[in-house]
Amino acid sequence: MRADQTGDYRREKIWDPVIRLWHWLLVVSVSTGWLLGQFRDFATVEWHIYLGYCTGILVLIRLMWGIFGPVPVRLRTLLPSPSQIMEYTRHFGNRKPSGSPGHNPFGGLSVVIMLVLLAVQVCTGLFSEDDALFASGPLAGWISTGGVLRATAIHHVVATLLLVFVGMHVAAVLYYLLWKRENLIVPMITGWKWIRVIQRDP
Amino acid sequence: MRNILRFSAAIAGLSFLVTAAAGDDPLEDAIKARQGYMQVVKFNAAPLFGMAKGKIEYDAEAAKTYANNLQAAAMMKNGAMWPEGTDNVSYAGKTRTLPEAWTTYPKVAEANQVWIDATGELARVAGDGLDALRSKIGAVGEGCKGCHDDFRAEDF
Repeated sequence: MRADQTGDYRREKIWDPVIRLWHWLLVVSVSTGWLLGQFRDFATVEWHIYLGYCTGILVLIRLMWGIFGPVPVRLRTLLPSPSQIMEYTRHFGNRKPSGSPGHNPFGGLSVVIMLVLLAVQVCTGLFSEDDALFASGPLAGWISTGGVLRATAIHHVVATLLLVFVGMHVAAVLYYLLWKRENLIVPMITGWKWIRVIQRDP
Repeated sequence: MRNILRFSAAIAGLSFLVTAAAGDDPLEDAIKARQGYMQVVKFNAAPLFGMAKGKIEYDAEAAKTYANNLQAAAMMKNGAMWPEGTDNVSYAGKTRTLPEAWTTYPKVAEANQVWIDATGELARVAGDGLDALRSKIGAVGEGCKGCHDDFRAEDF
């Protein structure tokens, strides 16, 4: 038996270099942007806007990669079928590694939701305004005052929703690490993950 | 005689027009007054923020004038612009002032005092160069937020 196979599990490269780099760039871009948004002040508010541009570009790259990228990151792979969700919930509490070759159904679904939220966040940010700091998105001047207020209100609500979803994402990764004894963090750095080999009848 | 009658009629007509323009609801007049007041504040603050951000060239005289105007506006005793019953529940669609401005009083007044102090600090140094302006403008923005974050709805 080779070293990259033990029992039912085999080491496979599931995350390509683009998606790994993308993931960690998104972590930096969204967390820094979020913090600069929540604790914005006169001196740093422009950086919040720049990080919004970065996040927007990253979302566009992800959409392209979701169409042209490898199978584990494709958008079609991310959206689970109801039967996949049912199957997954039955094994959710099991105290053993899933050995899944990519996102679990909820993970895939939450990736899609997070991408939508980020897209909404970037778009509303372009039209938002902070009148106490005299700072506004680059397109705020193109729409009515009422539109700017609405965009800003949505921008603030989605900021909270993003916090919730990122929190759930981190909580799920910790649950896998501590309860299911499956490390999902290292694969997102190296690309290599232990995958359960499908047992076939001899 | 006829001229006097015409004149009186004209005055009567005019005064009716003026009354109609001012509105017959003093509470709504107060809302309009404070919104106009905010426009004045914004008009004087915008160039100061523009200079501090480097979007407008710093001009010591102009900066001093705008900062003095801002301080003067901040020091106005304009509690009458905020009569009770002019929150965004009573006047939905007309104002963004939350009922909390009255129900948690005097919190809003304390926040207002922070803003008054910040404009005073700014007016003191705004003419002393760009760095001096920059050192005090952030606090003015924070002063705006002091009320806007807690006592103003995000939308009408």
